Amino acid sequence: MMPMNKNPATRLVSSLLLLTIVLLSGCSTNVTVNGDYPSALARKQPLHVGLVMDDQFSHYQFESTDDKQLPVTMALGESQVKLFSRVFADMFISTTTYNSPPAKNPALDLLIVPVVEEVQLATPFETKLNVYEVWIKYSLKVLDGNGQPIADWLMSSYGKTQSRFLKSDEEALNQATISALRDAGARLVLEFHRVPEVKRWLASRQADTQLSRSDIP
Amino acid sequence: MRALLFLLVSAISLLLTACGTSTHVDEYRVSESRLPVKASEKIVIMGRRHAGEYETEPDFIDCIGNKLVTGGQVAVMPEQQFLDSLYPWFEPRTAPLGLKRMGGMMRDPLIATRIRKLGIRYMIWVDGNTETTEKNGGFSCGLAPGGGGCFGFASWDKNSNYEAIIWDLSKLDEKGRVKVDSKGSSYLLAIGAPIPFIAQVQGEACEGIGTRLQSFFSSASQSRE
Repeated sequence: MMPMNKNPATRLVSSLLLLTIVLLSGCSTNVTVNGDYPSALARKQPLHVGLVMDDQFSHYQFESTDDKQLPVTMALGESQVKLFSRVFADMFISTTTYNSPPAKNPALDLLIVPVVEEVQLATPFETKLNVYEVWIKYSLKVLDGNGQPIADWLMSSYGKTQSRFLKSDEEALNQATISALRDAGARLVLEFHRVPEVKRWLASRQADTQLSRSDIP
Repeated sequence: MRALLFLLVSAISLLLTACGTSTHVDEYRVSESRLPVKASEKIVIMGRRHAGEYETEPDFIDCIGNKLVTGGQVAVMPEQQFLDSLYPWFEPRTAPLGLKRMGGMMRDPLIATRIRKLGIRYMIWVDGNTETTEKNGGFSCGLAPGGGGCFGFASWDKNSNYEAIIWDLSKLDEKGRVKVDSKGSSYLLAIGAPIPFIAQVQGEACEGIGTRLQSFFSSASQSRE
């Protein structure tokens, strides 16, 4: 055991350091985003889709790097996995999820790989209102069953704390992020098939299907 | 001592009368007759949240809903339940801002069937918010080994501005509008303990708009009477 022979100055410095750490940790905001997402009211596309959500995506954690802001850590990986799984299941007749891109799979029509490109945060100090604002930018790489790239869609979503009394910063940030994730889900459902490259691919696939049907005697 | 007590009582009385709220409600009806609501039909009240600088508070929407329900005339579906049932068609970015777009959405059997299944006949859109317009004064609190206390005076003004628009989803037309404007000043007097005098500006706006909206509808039982 180490002897306790610290002089009063060392003790004072240690206590101050400890107090500073306690105070600093009290000022930071740490949130594990936790939300429930409703089933999407969407017409299912007759496609078999593979959704690749790797470890980086499913354990994604945002940490603010701006020195002017109080430190914010936001773990949104689990929640975005929940959202993407739900929305894709409602958008296509079958969706299989993968941790890493599978080898060529002709049984799949599409392979979609979402990646978080950027997260931006506006804190109450910046907005001068009692709300957080969250922007999430995703890149969705769309490939066909043979692994050939079809599109790389940059999709951004936005959410903010709804103006109501919230008990804590964590709750306000959680609400803003859930709102941004809901917005991402809305964009997926309403805009995915309108992405020009995806639209072209869907049209050519439909033409191929019609052609093969007309070949049947 | 008596003089000081008299002064204090006078100040409090003055503040109590001053922290009242003034509310003004305007309405427009397409028809003088009440809007019929069958027993199987519901109303949904939704807040507008598409603007960046403000959004209609969900608790204000809940307050109007409660007001209509306690009026005992109509059934109101909670906003969040409707939003989840029709996700993602009524999210802040995707909700229809006008009847033309709503008509387009109702032509989609997927959406129209879900709305019919939920029994939604009327949709009321509420746009507006409550904001603090002016703040004055200040107070400070202190703590000492013998005790603590606050000293000072602060005041602030709040303004609530909302407009409710009623859409009939079965006919896809507008049935009326209610506009409410409520203002009030609140005070905080701190002599030892802080004594707040809060003007219920948003509550008054809810009361005003809710009562007026109640008068638009008649339930099936009322229609029979």
